[in-house]
Amino acid sequence: MMNRLHGIIFSYLSNPDLRELTQNRNTCSIPYGGRYRVIDFMLSSMVNAGISDVGMIVHANYQSLLDHVGSGKDWDLSRKHGGLRILPPFGYAGKHENGYRGRMDALAGVRSYLQYIRQDYVVLAGGDVAVNLPLRDIFEAHIRNDADITAVCTTHPMGDPKGSDYFSIGTGGRITDVSVHPSIAQGCESLEVYVLSKDLLLSLVDHCAAHNIPSFSVGVLQAMSGQLKICPYIYDGYAARLQSVAGYFARSMELLDPAVRADLFAPERPIRTKDRSDPSTYYGPNSKSVHSLVADGCIIEGEVENSILFRGVRVEKGARVSNCVLMQGTSIQAGAVLKYAITDKNVRVNPGRMLMGHSTYPLAIAKNEIV
Amino acid sequence: MLLAGGQGSRLHALTSHVAKPAVPFGGKYRIIDFPLSNCINSGIDTVGVLTQYRPLELNAYIGNGEPWDLDRSYGGVHILPPYMREGEKGTWYKGTANAIYQNINFLETYDPEYVLILSGDHIYKMDYTELLRRHKEAQAACTIAVLEVPMSEASRFGIMNVDENDDIYEFEEKPKKPKSNLASMGIYIFTWSKLRKYLEADEADEKSANDFGKNIIPAMLSNGEKMTAYRFHGYWKDVGTIDSLWDANMDMLAPENGIDLYDTEWPIYARTPIRPPHFMGPEARVEHAMVTSGCEVYGSVENSVLFHSVIVEEGAVVRYSILMPGTVVRKGAVVEYAIVAENSVIGESARVGSSPDGTEDWGIAVVAQNLNIGSGAVVPPKAMVTRNVKGGGAK
Repeated sequence: MMNRLHGIIFSYLSNPDLRELTQNRNTCSIPYGGRYRVIDFMLSSMVNAGISDVGMIVHANYQSLLDHVGSGKDWDLSRKHGGLRILPPFGYAGKHENGYRGRMDALAGVRSYLQYIRQDYVVLAGGDVAVNLPLRDIFEAHIRNDADITAVCTTHPMGDPKGSDYFSIGTGGRITDVSVHPSIAQGCESLEVYVLSKDLLLSLVDHCAAHNIPSFSVGVLQAMSGQLKICPYIYDGYAARLQSVAGYFARSMELLDPAVRADLFAPERPIRTKDRSDPSTYYGPNSKSVHSLVADGCIIEGEVENSILFRGVRVEKGARVSNCVLMQGTSIQAGAVLKYAITDKNVRVNPGRMLMGHSTYPLAIAKNEIV
Repeated sequence: MLLAGGQGSRLHALTSHVAKPAVPFGGKYRIIDFPLSNCINSGIDTVGVLTQYRPLELNAYIGNGEPWDLDRSYGGVHILPPYMREGEKGTWYKGTANAIYQNINFLETYDPEYVLILSGDHIYKMDYTELLRRHKEAQAACTIAVLEVPMSEASRFGIMNVDENDDIYEFEEKPKKPKSNLASMGIYIFTWSKLRKYLEADEADEKSANDFGKNIIPAMLSNGEKMTAYRFHGYWKDVGTIDSLWDANMDMLAPENGIDLYDTEWPIYARTPIRPPHFMGPEARVEHAMVTSGCEVYGSVENSVLFHSVIVEEGAVVRYSILMPGTVVRKGAVVEYAIVAENSVIGESARVGSSPDGTEDWGIAVVAQNLNIGSGAVVPPKAMVTRNVKGGGAK
């Protein structure tokens, strides 16, 4: 049945509040969870639901994303027919130079791709949310409810209201109103994942293009909640939206909670990522490592506490790391001390340096920097 | 041509379900990853893997060869089991030489000038291009990689006696009075046209054991073929016994003594399952140990190798042990000097193995895969457990 569903991931989304972390990439390819990129979660959710064709809409700053997903083979999406398709803007000149103004704008930019989708239904999702969604269930609910659009939302608001949408759910179990980027949270927070038929999608894209409506939330959900049957699907499992540096840090630290990991890394829906052939992680004599999530390929000879370590991190003797996120290839040299810091890929902290941020203002160190 | 058909009977609790080359090793790997990675790192992109004993898991593991970059449109990795031929002909592989003999057709497809013969039970990193260079420079019919071993241990190996040019004039299998300390590593390069002749002659000889060491090498020597030794310097270990398998795993913890698995110049590749990073609990204590993705450690681990998805519960102690994928060590259990195979569960407060006590009865304890060791049960050192053990101190 799932080969009736096609995946579209908005993979151009980026948030300027992520500062250093989005210097060389967009939000979708931010490293998250010790060995993943944010987009791995949505891509894996789709693959785990049996979706075989996925289009990734990109716009700018996507070199890092392309490098990560490659041909899609780590997600079993390197196929003769269908599989992964990267969709940069095409089919027009000049327009959208400053990026897509919204999802309908982006869909209009890849209109010619949409029309050749082999499946009857499409799931639209952002690549900037780390969530392990049961898309098979969501699709079944869509069919069962005979909905025009199914919109996934959570009763546990967790995003910044100014960057989120909220649904009011009426007595008939339909979404009756949508608040787009309000100042305070109200109702169920949208995870911005929608299921609809390919035919409806195409007509909505054409309608919005003709009326110069860039936003799906405003132009479709809000404007058409009266005429379309828009049903909510409530998913209360863990979802992380990465909207700022402090938010990124908080969402990372939540991974130390076993219940969060049980949601995000549900064994029956494994999160796939690019394979790197690292050896196991080695812990040296007299090293200490507690309450931390550690990926493969690390060599830890110092002390690590309340931290997330990505692949290939080195923590040398006498170094002390607490409440930190150390991305791939970070090297903390002898005797250095780090607290409340986020080091991007291949950062080197020289011997004896001391770096301290705070939980509300973690120190972020950009890719390849040497401290 | 990688000989991977061995049963590994001395590892029997670990090889009851898989061929020896598929036995997990070094936290992330299986034994066969070492020769396969050596091949691709040496630029060899056509590899035949000869299988016979319990091949299913090994076949699935190798698959299309993608983890080793051996998924090629020409060449790549080929699984080569014995097969039937017209006229009801065809047998199991009778010996190492016969295994190659039965695949002469496969080799001819690729029309090689040289053939490299490897075995699937050795842990080492070797650049085979150096071996080939030696073979070409010496214009040899056969070049054998040799390791200088302590003279006192030479009688345990196949020993090559060489002249001043390192050309081999004599081969002695486990000599009582060794004349040299150059041990054969079971790694050969042959000029294919020569090897083919000897394989055919060997096959015609009904008395032959069809083995490289016993038959082909001596036959070539006695015919005066040019045979030369290639001296290998570096780590090499045959992991055919429980003790050597345990030792070699421990060697991986100390890169200066063994192989540096973290050296990105000569990576060892593996097919790895999809698992999240490992988690260290608030009270975890881990020292001088390897831990792999999917593990959760709440207890204490030292001098040990943990493969993926191992769980060590609170108060459990793991020392000098090898825990293969999916092993669970329940609260308060103690595992020392032991190898626990895949998905076995060590019950609460059970004891597996013990520290060396100098007696003859001491040895590494082994628990085979998918077993349950009951709460409070005791598995003595040197035991090889192949059935569930009930709780409460039963042996």
